[in-house]
Amino acid sequence: MDTVETTTPRPHQENAAPRPVGESVTRLDAHEKVTGEAVFADDLQFGPNMLYARIKRSPHPHARILKIDASQALALPGVKTVVTGQSTPGFIGLYLKDRHIFCTDRARFVGDPVAGVAAVTEEIAERALDLIHVEYEVLPPVLDPEDGVRPDAELLHPELGSYEVANFIFPQPGTNIPNLFKIRKGDVDQALSEAAAVVHHTFRVPHVQHVPIEPHVAIAKVDERGRVTLWGSSQSPFAQRNLIASALGISQADLEVVAPYVGGGFGCKAGVSMEALAVAIAMQVRGRPVKLRLTREEEFYTTFVRQGLVAHFTMACDAEGNLTAMDNKFYWDGGAYAEYGVNMTRGAGYSSSGPYDVPNVRTDSFCVYTNHPVGGPMRGFGQPEMQCGLEQCINHLALEIGMDPMDFRRRNCVKEGSNLVTGMKMHATGIGECIEKAAEAIGWGHKDPPSAPHKRRGKGIAAMWKAPAMSPNAGSSAWIEMSEDGKCTLGLGGQELGQGTFTVMAQMAAATLGIPYDWVRIASPVDTKYSPYEWQTVASRLTWSMGNAVVAAAKDARRQILELVARSWEETPEDLDIVNGNVISAKSGRSSSLKGLVVYGLAKPGDQGWIGGPILGRGSFMPTYVTGLDPETGQGQRAVVHYTTGAQAVEVEVDLETGRVQVLRGASAFDMGKAINPDLVNVQMEGGLVQGISTALFECLQLKDGVVRNPSFVDYRIATSADAPRDMQSIIVEVPQDDGPFGARGVGEHSMVPTMPAIANAIHDALGIHPGAPPFTAEKVYLAMVDAGLVK
Amino acid sequence: MREAHPGLPDFDYVRPADLEEASRFLAQNPQTARPFMGGTDTFVRLRDGFWKETRYLVDVKNLDGRSEITFDPQKGLTVGAAVSMNQVVANPRVGSHYSLLAQAAHRVASYQLRTRATLVGNVCNASPAGDTLGACLLFGGVLRVHGVEGFRDEPLASFFQGPGRTALKPGDIVTAIRFPLPVPGSVGHYEKLGRNLLSDLAIVGVTVLGHPDSSTASGYRFHLALASVGPVPVVLPDLLTQAPVTPEALEEAAGQAMESCHPIDDVRGSARYRKLMVRNLSRRALTRVWEGLQSGYRGE
Amino acid sequence: MAHHKISVTVNGSVESVDVPSNMTLLTMLREKLGLTGTKNGCTAGECGACTVFLNGEPVNSCLVLAVECDGAEVRTVESLARNGQLDPIQQSVIDHNAVQCGFCTPGVLISARALLDRNPDPTEEEIRDALVGNLCRCTGYIRILDAVKDAARVGAAPGTGGSR
Ligand SMILES: Cc1cc2nc3c(=O)[nH]c(=O)nc-3n(C[C@H](O)[C@H](O)[C@H](O)COP(=O)(O)OP(=O)(O)OC[C@H]3O[C@@H](n4cnc5c(N)ncnc54)[C@H](O)[C@@H]3O)c2cc1C
Ligand code: FES
Ligand code: FES
Repeated sequence: MDTVETTTPRPHQENAAPRPVGESVTRLDAHEKVTGEAVFADDLQFGPNMLYARIKRSPHPHARILKIDASQALALPGVKTVVTGQSTPGFIGLYLKDRHIFCTDRARFVGDPVAGVAAVTEEIAERALDLIHVEYEVLPPVLDPEDGVRPDAELLHPELGSYEVANFIFPQPGTNIPNLFKIRKGDVDQALSEAAAVVHHTFRVPHVQHVPIEPHVAIAKVDERGRVTLWGSSQSPFAQRNLIASALGISQADLEVVAPYVGGGFGCKAGVSMEALAVAIAMQVRGRPVKLRLTREEEFYTTFVRQGLVAHFTMACDAEGNLTAMDNKFYWDGGAYAEYGVNMTRGAGYSSSGPYDVPNVRTDSFCVYTNHPVGGPMRGFGQPEMQCGLEQCINHLALEIGMDPMDFRRRNCVKEGSNLVTGMKMHATGIGECIEKAAEAIGWGHKDPPSAPHKRRGKGIAAMWKAPAMSPNAGSSAWIEMSEDGKCTLGLGGQELGQGTFTVMAQMAAATLGIPYDWVRIASPVDTKYSPYEWQTVASRLTWSMGNAVVAAAKDARRQILELVARSWEETPEDLDIVNGNVISAKSGRSSSLKGLVVYGLAKPGDQGWIGGPILGRGSFMPTYVTGLDPETGQGQRAVVHYTTGAQAVEVEVDLETGRVQVLRGASAFDMGKAINPDLVNVQMEGGLVQGISTALFECLQLKDGVVRNPSFVDYRIATSADAPRDMQSIIVEVPQDDGPFGARGVGEHSMVPTMPAIANAIHDALGIHPGAPPFTAEKVYLAMVDAGLVK
Repeated sequence: MREAHPGLPDFDYVRPADLEEASRFLAQNPQTARPFMGGTDTFVRLRDGFWKETRYLVDVKNLDGRSEITFDPQKGLTVGAAVSMNQVVANPRVGSHYSLLAQAAHRVASYQLRTRATLVGNVCNASPAGDTLGACLLFGGVLRVHGVEGFRDEPLASFFQGPGRTALKPGDIVTAIRFPLPVPGSVGHYEKLGRNLLSDLAIVGVTVLGHPDSSTASGYRFHLALASVGPVPVVLPDLLTQAPVTPEALEEAAGQAMESCHPIDDVRGSARYRKLMVRNLSRRALTRVWEGLQSGYRGE
Repeated sequence: MAHHKISVTVNGSVESVDVPSNMTLLTMLREKLGLTGTKNGCTAGECGACTVFLNGEPVNSCLVLAVECDGAEVRTVESLARNGQLDPIQQSVIDHNAVQCGFCTPGVLISARALLDRNPDPTEEEIRDALVGNLCRCTGYIRILDAVKDAARVGAAPGTGGSR
């Protein structure tokens, strides 16, 4: 088995990548998606034996559960079981096990699952919910992370000290803080006292939702021996297998997760959200599939949210415009359970300088339990929220000392060898080029007249960086099996969420193996029983990590084929190559198609038996070089695998009569090392920009007393076809990644990281007003203009 | 908190043979039976857990004559109750004589929703945010209503009583909405402010209809209606009749509109913002109409 | 609750279906007829993933009762391709990389086909307006707009698409 050697980074090969790497081939999944044939979890058919589940949820943000009486519900004809926390005593959680599948003694947010019903129809299950009577003792809620850290705050998890936790998360027992991540680099106080300019701002970034168009759905079935099959819309089939099995006390080998196409994830279908509920219910009705699908309203208030953030920044530079100090305090609204929030807290901490070289940095990044929905990963994993404020401060600081914000960024951005906030050395990066190109693409420095007298125009830019935030040793694996005619099936465990990973993996496999792209099939749906292990489809890590595994598997298959043919031809493998599906010899000029030999081997001369056998290539990859960081200083050898960097620049027009902000054009420039499929990169940049615009201008989960007031598309608006700017430019910058396949690193999430601050900075350019925290709704901008005396 | 169900609750679908049967059935089941047309409001409300007592949905759209738009050059326009928003938008007679109505109908939701949503349903639903209510009011709409006692007319001017509350009684079925001929030379404009550019519900909606009028000192008469700023549509009739129409006069009328409404805070916007937008969008709409009156513009 | 026996033509074939009063057209298509190409994203008329042709016009099938479709003609995404030949709008969506996760795509295709049927040469504004009821969280929309524009240029292949 081939594994990529990673302890010492390999020098990147400069020669052009083999085809079809670097080509914009057609997506593998496009045809079945336009005909309606593509299967999503809700499309799977289970027949009349299937039961439907619905969930009884807490109406209180914080309450003790005194009594649950399900007798009336159980008596309703058609109801097959009612499940409560009593049958699921085990803990579940990705980095910190602080959650039960169903609440046991306490409910900690509005929507927390208290009981589950399975019935013969969804309607009966729904009706049964009203017949479950729950007695609560209402407890005071924590509704703001800054309140949550006060010494007198109501404790939401008094047992915090006893929870099982990953070794890079630092809970503070006796508080509401499941993780506190600190950076101490240089002497911040000294630097602040000597600075030529200092800015200070606080941003309260609201919760937003992921809003995939496909709601969550899971179907679970448990057989008589207690073996579980779970079908679901999932970004993390293997993590679900692991976490649910350990919560239920069963073997991972006895839990099979089948994951068809995901109708959009953006993080909310990562880890375990509602899937364990279906499994716990199915446990009680063995032999029958149990289906749980969330309504759109539940999608808004019960699943992972992008957590709110209260961020305080103090930032300083010298007279020449060199950043000298940053002093940051982040309070993350982690919600009722720590889940991903603890790691976003960490990610924000180790990236808390933004993509800048800053000698003195002090950061305290608190994850705080609140009685809000659970914080989950969302495209950007904390960075859009954190960099939203950071990049506005950078802009302000540049203007404060009279420098062009673009020049200021170029001057201060990280370079190869920069000493990062954690002490890690920066690798080669194209961020300077990204900043310049994005600015240039929107005509930076040139002010166009507005389209009407009651409008004002402005331009803004923001840079970004982001590392894959994951367990340090998150692994990938892949296999390649050849079919008789020389085509192949590629086994992988990463999920196709729409980002195009199946296509890109097929390209890398084809290029490595030497066969045409359309000879590669993906073994899908991903099924933990048959597919090779993949940690999770998150963190924009697949192209890089799973790509490495796929390349290793393809190399392994290729090696086996070449050795076989070399033996038969009495040549050495080094003289042979596979080109366009044919083995050719540079030495003898011989050539042979792959047909037959990849399964049946080759006959020895004179009918003297056979050599070879079915070709099966295997590969795996795991980063082995990420080290721990000191809990007090955040310093260590290598905090992360790498950083993807980039920038966005936008031009906006503000309507002085309504406050409406319209993004007229946007340019995205990102350094993804190598664009395996350039047009797929472009559409990630476009889609990310529009999602970023949507969160910048419209989106806010309106939480009042713990209740989501706008849990529908009518009340929670996202960008529509009318809101997307016509002029979107995507710029690919390629500074190769030393440990990436063909030099690639990820780019999926990054494209919405700088959008909010770029728009904020453009609004400032147009109006001279710092718009602060998003969303920059027409109302917010108008009222800010009124307050500033710009309009009446 | 909205506790929406996964599907629609239990009810029986009833399709009466004629209007008499329909009115009788509705009157006999006043609490439990509801008429519907496109159902775009009805189904959403049922699914959201409102109207818990509903047991019968009475489909009144396929009764005779409900699905036509007729125009009589003497009497005006009649829009059958089952006429969809898209039919209103596409109808050439509406476009040439009542373009304001088409403009407002076009701003409702999305194309596919407008295939089913009806003008009459929008009126009967009596949502303060209803986009077409202003146009229907300013054109002097009169509902043709069939009740247990037979047909009668309900002028819109006295129709709206509160959010979702109207002058309709159990057994009443609106069969059409009729509009008299507009005053010659009328120009209208609908200004809708949503959170995104299209398809949102109105944070504020301003409908303006103006026409030349030789009996006024200004030579013109403007009427204005506001959506989403009170429990029922707010109508300001007979504006800008006294002094000559100038930018200052338009500004003053817009200020009058602002003073006349008492909006509330909700998820779409605050009362403070709404009031300011009533002024700004009224100014905008009045100005558009004023420019149109001077240039022959007839609304878009 | 009352059940109704209805007869409805779905993608050209006449189906006789027994439906309860409160079943939507969307549920009938997906759960009674196994036509799962049409998606459910909200059940409330907001996302457009459930868009199908009803008597030649696009509707949100989550806001239509199945029983209302007695005698009607319904077409879903499954009807767009004929004999292995994609509708030009399907091909154009592929060519423009206008599909990512694909969950909105069936509804987008129906709305787009409907637009092209009633307006073979739409402007960009008209395309945006026609698609405003089809939410897409992945693509950023511009590729979809371009795909529709290009499909308009190619025109509808005879015998495909809606039934106007
Ligand atoms: C996603 C979505 C977006 C929307 N966006 C908008 C928008 O932007 N602007 C807007 O104005 N509206 C909007 N609406 C609301 C709705 O679509 C409109 O109000 C529509 O015009 C209602 O027409 P309908 O035929 O569907 O009404 P129905 O649902 O059939 O009926 C509405 C009400 O009127 C009563 N009714 C219907 N017909 C009759 C009759 N003949 N006689 C007596 N009573 C009757 C019903 O009992 C019910 O109370 C939206 C709705 C949805 C679901
Ligand atoms: S499912 Fe019908 S519009 Fe969303
Ligand atoms: S492609 Fe994913 S929602 Fe449109």
